[in-house]
Amino acid sequence: MLVKKTDVLVIGAGGAGIAAAVEAARGGASVIIVSKEPIGYGDTRISLGVMSTSPDPEIGDTEEQFVEDMIRGGEGLNDPALVRALVSDALEATAMFEGFGHIFGRDDEGRLARLIFPPGGHSASRAISSPGVGISMGHTMRAAAARASIDVLEETICSELLVRDGEVVGAVGLQVASGEPIAVLAKSSVIGAGGAGSLYYPHTDCMPSVVGDSYGLALNAGAELGDMEQVQFLPFGITHPPSMLGAPCGEPAMAGPLGKLMNSRGELVLENIMPMTRAQVARIIMEEIRRGGATERGGLLLDLRPNIEADGGELFVGLMKKMGGPFLDIIRRAYGEKAANLQEPWDVLPTVHYVMGGVKTDEWCRSHVPALYACGQAQGGVMGGNRLGSTSLTEIFVFGKRAGKTAALEAAQRNYADAPVAVEAVRRLEALFGAGGSERPVRLKRALQRLMWEKVGPLRDAASLEQAFREIAGIKEHAKDLRISGMKRYNCEALDAIELSHMLASAESIVVSALARTESRGAHVRSDFPERDDAHPIRNMVVRLKDGNCEVRPVEVHA
Amino acid sequence: MSVTVAIRRYNSETGGEPEWVNYTLPERDRMSVLEAFMHIYENVDPTLAFRFGCRFNKCGLCAVEVDGRPRMACFTEVKDGMKIAVLGRMPVIRDLVVDRAAFFTALRELQLYIPEQEDAGHTQIIKEPETHKKLLLCVECLACNSTCPNFEFKKNPFVGPYVFVKLAQLHFDPRNTIDRRRQAKDLGITACTQCRKCYCIHGINLHRDAIQILSA
Repeated sequence: MLVKKTDVLVIGAGGAGIAAAVEAARGGASVIIVSKEPIGYGDTRISLGVMSTSPDPEIGDTEEQFVEDMIRGGEGLNDPALVRALVSDALEATAMFEGFGHIFGRDDEGRLARLIFPPGGHSASRAISSPGVGISMGHTMRAAAARASIDVLEETICSELLVRDGEVVGAVGLQVASGEPIAVLAKSSVIGAGGAGSLYYPHTDCMPSVVGDSYGLALNAGAELGDMEQVQFLPFGITHPPSMLGAPCGEPAMAGPLGKLMNSRGELVLENIMPMTRAQVARIIMEEIRRGGATERGGLLLDLRPNIEADGGELFVGLMKKMGGPFLDIIRRAYGEKAANLQEPWDVLPTVHYVMGGVKTDEWCRSHVPALYACGQAQGGVMGGNRLGSTSLTEIFVFGKRAGKTAALEAAQRNYADAPVAVEAVRRLEALFGAGGSERPVRLKRALQRLMWEKVGPLRDAASLEQAFREIAGIKEHAKDLRISGMKRYNCEALDAIELSHMLASAESIVVSALARTESRGAHVRSDFPERDDAHPIRNMVVRLKDGNCEVRPVEVHA
Repeated sequence: MSVTVAIRRYNSETGGEPEWVNYTLPERDRMSVLEAFMHIYENVDPTLAFRFGCRFNKCGLCAVEVDGRPRMACFTEVKDGMKIAVLGRMPVIRDLVVDRAAFFTALRELQLYIPEQEDAGHTQIIKEPETHKKLLLCVECLACNSTCPNFEFKKNPFVGPYVFVKLAQLHFDPRNTIDRRRQAKDLGITACTQCRKCYCIHGINLHRDAIQILSA
């Protein structure tokens, strides 16, 4: 059995994980970072690179205003302490990431330049851009990981955390290239392995590897998750060809002041889209589709032509080309040149972008399980029921840094567990190779992903959620009977099998939370409870594992 | 009408010669090479190994050789008779999966990062050269190395266009303090024959913006 020891173990190597690892190393700790993809290849790297920094006093913006915007946007589900931490550390996090090697957008004098138009929900402009979009952040993250004195396990998936007497003491993972399991004994363990967008694959713009590893690992170690029903759908994604399904093609702002949503019969479904939130627009699209208004491709038509035909139309086209370039590239590829020139309507359908829910932590990223920390999208409570555009990149750096700092500091007070604690977990991994059951992991993954989109999508009700709950239980049973080839090197089926176990836990936590929230709030829309419940105190839905099943309890939000 | 493609299969564990295998694919609107891999893996042969990521041409993980040229599997349409293989000139783990580990090691060993500075807690005045922005579009797919006649992984995995792009990025970074031309020279950039065969799928002008800059 291959065993390593480290003060701090970081699981996940996107923005959050790398910030945590670098900060922990700066704190004097020995660090191992485990990355399922090559280092730095998470959702951060395929983002647009637009991030909120600190409020600009020159335009009268304040920290209080920023906090207020996030909590209003999150419909009161946010943990105010976490929101305040994000806002107060935003500038420090910006500086830290530039110190890693990044360069955010500048004005002609070389000063940090905030965007002219803030993303939806922000009352002032705090967002800064990356001239080389997310991919330039990828270069930075990889460079930062290379520069720091941290040990790297690339293309290694964590299957489970090791728990001794209720305390997390490390993790076990599979090194995909070689097929060898590895155990890491750690005094502190940080989960920064992102969200679960690809639980809805192909209806997502996230990396396919982002399937809920963070949540599966945390739940099984005894941690609590909050508000997992809050899954963010971007309103506008591509519907065809199949290879492009789920690709993102815009925010509500993309509709411009005069853009319209039409149904298949050419009837107006929605106008004045620009100031609405992602959740509001996604909801209206799905309601119209349920009423039978979908095109033969399955979406609605977003018509931007009124913007061009009005006075100042050329200005609009120019602005779209400047601000919406990456989206227009996607449109061109899927729908052709005319559509990319805004002269033809786009077939659009919501696509999963982000999970607001996640591991419950304090503002220094401690979960309630000793020695377990979480940061970034893995963590819950920061965004509440709806994330404002440009805040997730702030979140990963602010809380990545905080998690790394706390984990390093507190590691000094702990001891290593003995290696035998990992024996059973390693055996479970070895048993995957050549497993002779009857179910293929990838088929079960696809069945679960289809189920999540159809029954736990942007529009839910008790019947669809209860059916999802039953079907998840069925897939869980099938997952005990897997068939996997015995090939050691880069065995995609073994990888799928481990992902499947994280996916099942994540999916179940989403479904039980969605069933328990008998109202529509934030990104969670129930057709059987279409209104927000303002008669009762606002509650978080808190999930933990009990006897292998997710158990949910509502907890009042305290300001 | 169905289409047939040939995929080169190989397993470094068992060794032996790579083998071309034909697969017949169902009809689908503008089917991509990546969709073909997924179809085969999910329905025909569960042992097919391939690497992929974002599906939308952003992440650089799915580069393969299609009819002898590097292409992103996600953004290449399948055609009847296509021959698909792993990227050339790379160490292969299995089937379509190259071993990428050396390319992270390169970052560390060649100090392909800006030096650590005192964290001031606020941002600096920085003027970013336009060429720096262009070079950052590199998605690290390794197509450039796979098309460089001089790149020999076994001899030195660091001497190829990929590392030169990284060096050029840093050369243009106003905060860089290491002589990146010197480094390029020490690695042997002078051996570059200027053949311009190194190919960038994302349209970076490798010759002008990296090789020539570093050779100056």
